[in-house]
Amino acid sequence: MKKGLALLLATAMTVGLLAGCGNGGSGQSSAGGSTTAAASGGGSSESSGSGAADNSGSSAAEDGAIDLSEHVDLKMYLIGDRTPDFDEVYAEINKILEEKLNCSISVDFLSWGEHDTKYSLLFSSGEDFDLIFTAPGWCHYQQTVALGGLYPLSEEFIQTYAPGIWEVLPEVAWQQAAIDGQVYMVPNFQQEFGQDVLAVRGDLLEKYGMTDIRNWEDIRKFYLACAADGIYAGQGGPWYTWFRSLGYTGLAGSPKSGETVMIHYDQPDDMNVYYLLDWDGFSEYCHQMKEMADAGCWSSDVLNSADERQTGLLTGRAATMVWNLGSCVTYAKQANAEHPEWNITVCDPLAERQKAPNKYTTNGIGINISSKHKERAMMALNEFYCNPAIQDLAMLGIEGKHWRAVGDNQYEVIDESNFGVNNNCNWGWTNETIRREEYIADMTPLDEKQKELLETWKADIREDIHPYENFSFDPTNVSTQFAAVEAAMGSYYDPLLNGLVDDVDASIEALRQAMDSAGMQDILDEINRQLEEYMATLN
Amino acid sequence: MKKFLKKLFKYRIYLLMLAPAVIYTLVFAYYPMTGIVMAFKKYNYAGGIWGSPWNGFENFRFFFKSGQALKVTRNTVLYNVLFIVCGTAVQVAVAVFLTEIHNKWFKKISQSMMFLPYFISWVIVGVMAFNLFSSDYGFANRIITALGGTKIPFYTTPAAWPMILLFFNIWKGVGYGSVMYLAAIMGVDTSIYEAAAIDGANVFQRIFRVTIPSIMPTMVILFLMNIGGIFRGNFDMFYNLVGNNGLLFDYTDVIDTLAMRALISSNNFGMSAAIGLFQSILCFITVLLANKLVSIYDKDYTLF
Repeated sequence: MKKGLALLLATAMTVGLLAGCGNGGSGQSSAGGSTTAAASGGGSSESSGSGAADNSGSSAAEDGAIDLSEHVDLKMYLIGDRTPDFDEVYAEINKILEEKLNCSISVDFLSWGEHDTKYSLLFSSGEDFDLIFTAPGWCHYQQTVALGGLYPLSEEFIQTYAPGIWEVLPEVAWQQAAIDGQVYMVPNFQQEFGQDVLAVRGDLLEKYGMTDIRNWEDIRKFYLACAADGIYAGQGGPWYTWFRSLGYTGLAGSPKSGETVMIHYDQPDDMNVYYLLDWDGFSEYCHQMKEMADAGCWSSDVLNSADERQTGLLTGRAATMVWNLGSCVTYAKQANAEHPEWNITVCDPLAERQKAPNKYTTNGIGINISSKHKERAMMALNEFYCNPAIQDLAMLGIEGKHWRAVGDNQYEVIDESNFGVNNNCNWGWTNETIRREEYIADMTPLDEKQKELLETWKADIREDIHPYENFSFDPTNVSTQFAAVEAAMGSYYDPLLNGLVDDVDASIEALRQAMDSAGMQDILDEINRQLEEYMATLN
Repeated sequence: MKKFLKKLFKYRIYLLMLAPAVIYTLVFAYYPMTGIVMAFKKYNYAGGIWGSPWNGFENFRFFFKSGQALKVTRNTVLYNVLFIVCGTAVQVAVAVFLTEIHNKWFKKISQSMMFLPYFISWVIVGVMAFNLFSSDYGFANRIITALGGTKIPFYTTPAAWPMILLFFNIWKGVGYGSVMYLAAIMGVDTSIYEAAAIDGANVFQRIFRVTIPSIMPTMVILFLMNIGGIFRGNFDMFYNLVGNNGLLFDYTDVIDTLAMRALISSNNFGMSAAIGLFQSILCFITVLLANKLVSIYDKDYTLF
C-alpha cells in the first residue's frame, strides 16, 4: 500500500510538472513563430508586449517621423571588464540619449574569460537585453546567427532607424556581415591593420648580424640562430606568417577557425579553394617546423603551456613575440623599461607584401532577436556611431578628467588608469570619420617605428581584394561533419603546426585519413556550393 | 480509497519528513531530464527546447563519424576502472592504517594532510603538474639532470600519462574517500576485535579476517555508485592536466574532452545533449548489470 501511495504521489507530481512544461512549451513556440513572422515582415517587430508602440512605430516610419514618446531602458552586453569610471562615463552618455531619444542604456559585461561559455547562455536562457557586441570568428557571430539569436537587419530597417550608419558604412562592410545574404550585425568603420608583426630582441638581432626581419627567410635565419645560441626564438610555429607570406589566407568559417581551407588572396582571379592537406604549402611548412622544433627554436612543451603571447618575451625566455602592432609595441615598451639592454624593436615579417585593412566586421554590434525595443536600440546605436560626443565619451572617457582635446581631431591622455583609452569594448561602433587620434608629445624609437610601419602600410594598401575574403562559410547544413572534423583534427593538427611529430609525412597522412572519414569532403562540397551562390549574387 | 486516505493521515508526519527529499529529487533530477529531448532536436534560440524542430538521431552522428568514438570510449572506461580499483584499494588501506594508529596527534595531522588535496581545484593541479613535468623548468627533469640522467619530455611521451593521471587522481581523492571507510570501520563491533585478540589473532589477521569483511558492504555500495559514472570522464582533470596537447590524446582523450573539442566552436546544444545522453544510457546499463552481478554474489549488498 505504501509503495502504491508513493507511486501515486510521484505520478501526480510528474504529470503536474509535465503539464506545466507543456504549457510553457506551447507558449514559447507560438512566441517563436510570431518573431519569425515579424522578421520576415521587415521593419515591424515583436507581437508580444509592446504592440501599441510597434504600430505607432511602423506607421511613424512611413511618415518619416519616429514616435519616441515612450521612455525605454535599453540593455547592452559588451565583452571585457567594467573599469572603475565606466558608470560615470555612461551616465554622461545617458544624458545625451535621454535628451535625443528618450531612452537610457545600461551595460553588462561578459569578461574575457567567460564570454566563450556565457555568450550563448544569454540567448538560450531568454535574458532580456537589446544590444550585444559580436564579431565573426572571435566573438560568436556565426554561431549565434546559426541558432537564430540575432535580429536580421533589413536595408529598410537600417535606413529608417540608423540613417547615419547607413551613410557612413560602405556597401562592402554589409557584404562582409552577410550570412546567406542576410545581415545580422552593424560592423564598425575603421581602417585597422590586424596584421601580426614581431617584437624582436634588438640585442640578439645585432648579435646574429641582422638588422631587420622582413620575410620568411629572415624569420628562419633568426629562429635558427636563436636555437643555436640556446634561447627559444618564440612560443611555437609561425603558421599565420607562413601562409600569409605565400599569399594565402584561410577561408572564414571553415573548420579550425578557418584554417582548413585556403584561398589565394594574392591572386584575386584565382577562384580555387585549396584544401589544407592538398595545398603544397602545408607539407612544406610542417617539414620546416620539424627542423626548427628539433633545433630547439621553441620548447617541446608549447602545446601544454598556458603562457600568454607576451610571456616569453617579457621573461626573457623567448626572443620574439607575435601579435598585432599595437600589442607588440605595448609589451616591447614594457620589456624595454625593465631591460633596456634588450633594445626590443618591432619588425614586419611580411614587409614585402601589401597590407589590406581588417574586415569591418572585426568588431560590431547585433540586436537580440527577442529584444522588445529593436527600433530604439538601433537608433541608440546610431547615436553611438555618429554622435561625436558619445563616440569620444565611450572611447576616451570624460574630457578634462581622462583626456584633453588637442585640436579638433586629436586627444592627449590625462589619466588612463580608471577608464582605459579605447579599451572599454567601444570598438563595435568605432567610426573613424569622427574618431580622435592620439597625440604623442615625445616619441620613443618604438613609437617612431610604429608610426613608420603604419604609414608604409597605409601608403601601399592592397586594393585588389579577393572576392572570397568577404565571404563567410555557414556550416549549418554540415554541422555533423563540422563537429566530427574538429574532433578528429585534435591528435595531429597542433603537433604538426609546431613540428612536434616524429614523422611528418606519416602524420599528415594520418590527419588526412582522420579528416576524410570525419566527412571533410562534404564540407568542401558545401563550401564550393555556397561560394558558387555567393559569386552569383556578386555579378 | 477510504483506507488510503486513512493511511495518508496516519503517516502524515513521515510523509512530511519525506517530502523535501522527494521534491528535491523531482526538481533537480527528474524535471531536468525532460531536457533529454534536446538530443533529438535541431536547437535554435527562437524555438527553445520545445519549439525547435526534431532531427532524429542526427545529433549522435558526429561522435561516431569523428572516428574517435571507440578510442575515447575505451579510454574513458579503462581510466575509470583504473581509478575505481586503485582508488578503492588505497582508500581502504589508508582507512585501515589510520584506525590502527593510536597516536592521536599523528593520526589527526596525517588525515588532515591527506584531505587537503581534495580542496585544490583541478586548474591548480594542472599548473602544478606542468611545473613538475615540463621539460625546461620541470622539477622532475631538474632532478633527473642533476643526477646525470637525460631529460624525459613528459609532454610528448603519451605512455607516461596513465601513471601521472592515476597518481593525481588518487592523491586528490584519497583523503575524502577514506573517510567513508573510516566511518564504516568505526561502526564495527569492538567485541569482535576483543574476541579475535583472545583467540590469538595478530594484527594482519585482525585486518583481513575482521575489518575487511565487515566493511565489505560499504565497499560494494561505493563501488556500485562509482560504476554509475564509468562512461563519464572527469573533464576537469583531463582537460587541466592534458589540455589540447594532441600528442597525448591516444592515451588521454576521453569522451568529455572530445565532445568539448568538437563542439566548442559551434555551440551545438543538441550534439552536446546527445553526448551526455549517450554516456548516461551506457552508465545506466552498466549499473543495472553490476547490480545484478552483485545480487548473484549476495543479495544484501545490492543498491536496489
